[in-house]
Amino acid sequence: MSLNESSLPLPGRDLRLPFGLAVVVLACCAPLLLGNYALHAVIISLIFLLPAHGLNLLVGYTGLLSLAQAAFFGVGAYVSALMAVHWGTPFYVNLFGAGLVAGALALPLGIPALRLRSTSFVMCTLGFVIIGQAVAKNWISLTRGDMGLSAIPKPYFALGPASFTVSGTVGFYYLVLAIAALATFAVWLIVTSPAGRNMVAIRENETLAESVGVPTWRYKLIVFMISAAFAGLGGSVYAHYLTVVSPLTFQMSNSTLMLIIVLGGGPGTISGVVFGSLLFVGLSEALRIAPELRMVAYGFCLLALVFWFPKGFAPLITRFWTMLRGRS
Amino acid sequence: MTGLPILEITGLSKSYGAIRAVDGVDLQVHRGEICGLIGPNGSGKSTFFDCTSGLARPNAGSVRLDGQDITGWSLNRIAREGRMLRSFQKTVTFGALDIEENLVIAGQMFTFPSVASTFGLGARSRARVDGLRQRARELIRLSGLWDVKTQPAGNLSGGQQKLIQFASMLMPEPKLILLDEPMAGINPKLIERVVEAIRYANEQLGVSFLVIEHNIDVITSICQRVAVLDQGRKLAEGTPAEIMRNQAVREAYLGG
Repeated sequence: MSLNESSLPLPGRDLRLPFGLAVVVLACCAPLLLGNYALHAVIISLIFLLPAHGLNLLVGYTGLLSLAQAAFFGVGAYVSALMAVHWGTPFYVNLFGAGLVAGALALPLGIPALRLRSTSFVMCTLGFVIIGQAVAKNWISLTRGDMGLSAIPKPYFALGPASFTVSGTVGFYYLVLAIAALATFAVWLIVTSPAGRNMVAIRENETLAESVGVPTWRYKLIVFMISAAFAGLGGSVYAHYLTVVSPLTFQMSNSTLMLIIVLGGGPGTISGVVFGSLLFVGLSEALRIAPELRMVAYGFCLLALVFWFPKGFAPLITRFWTMLRGRS
Repeated sequence: MTGLPILEITGLSKSYGAIRAVDGVDLQVHRGEICGLIGPNGSGKSTFFDCTSGLARPNAGSVRLDGQDITGWSLNRIAREGRMLRSFQKTVTFGALDIEENLVIAGQMFTFPSVASTFGLGARSRARVDGLRQRARELIRLSGLWDVKTQPAGNLSGGQQKLIQFASMLMPEPKLILLDEPMAGINPKLIERVVEAIRYANEQLGVSFLVIEHNIDVITSICQRVAVLDQGRKLAEGTPAEIMRNQAVREAYLGG
């Protein structure tokens, strides 16, 4: 009897809290552990995490495939850059402004776009990126065209008489880490709310959701705007990090990278997207050791992903969390 | 007040191109009644349902629910504000979610006053969701689905999914339910359970029904009144016994 009992797997301990603490400690100590270049790669990853979070709300939770993220990312970058250069406003004002403008812009764009079905919607969102780039190139009086906007100040904070400028890679890392953590928390709040449940209902079956009273049109529009706002925030941080923005911010490859992060990391999961942004942006940066083969190697990595992990890393991540929870 | 029909449809018409799928149909469903709607394939029953429930817009005619004109309202608004719910011929559930989540979703828009309030995570929002979970569990028990309640709904049999869909429609205390072929494609054992569920909702919860069904035995056993559609027009209306005797109905079914 006792032998029998001991041979049963013991109910494991819940390891989620220790794991979470380890992640926090690791995140805080990263500058000590990583070289300057690796830290730069992590910063870029965390910047791309913002639009990826937004895209995850749209693709992973609501089931709307959009390629427009780069457009809102670019809008956020330009809004932030213009505000900083022309008005000299502090960083948090620019950040807020970029998110707000990108989110608001998604309203007039989303109203016609969301009336389209599946493939047409994807094509339409692709159009937004192309239009965005064309505007950035040709509205020279505002954007300086291909020259782009340069000398964007490093993020500075001003509250009353006190002011503080974040300079250097380490300082910027902590700033981005804080913003990314807040954004992740915000996404968690959204997806665990009753609205998050309605979003999943729309993804699973839109007509059925309608039939139980969910105004799917309004939800899709709201999520499209939230998603754009996240992209705008990412663009703002990006502009202040690189201190230069050019029409290349609107490039299609940014949209596809965000999509790879979400689909590869695990659509419909938050941890999957965090993992995905570190992995895929990190991979892209790591492959710079062989610049001529970089994109080819990246392509092969994606092919491997599609063949071996057709659902992204989401199933692995789910298994990992159940393991941590200690129940089989 | 009780004399007023719960659903009153007048002159409903819907064309797709040159085809008049529904052509000037009048129909009333009385309060507390189970009304049947039968007709050969392609007679316009489903189009009639779509126009009534808001999934399609009728070209002409009016739909009044509980005295209120709801013609041209969207599907979600009719569900939410009118508390008239419908099922679909091809059974659907939120496949990746378990039964409880399915039912909670079905009740949410009736508990939360607005879209904005569904983004809330405060104590009030949590209390509302807890209330929905409680009701969902009751309905899961009543439907006999307790043993499979943690499985994704998409993994269950067609009959079980029909029961989930039926339970979902009971979440918001509906006034009227439109059932589109509730017995199609389910095994005979489950037919009895679905019939029981309809009777329970009708007698205990006071829900009125309009039911499209090909299974004549089911129609004659549960319906007080039956209407027959043929080629988009109403051919006959009466008690099940009257309908069975009606010569025109027999001819429509036999292609005479």
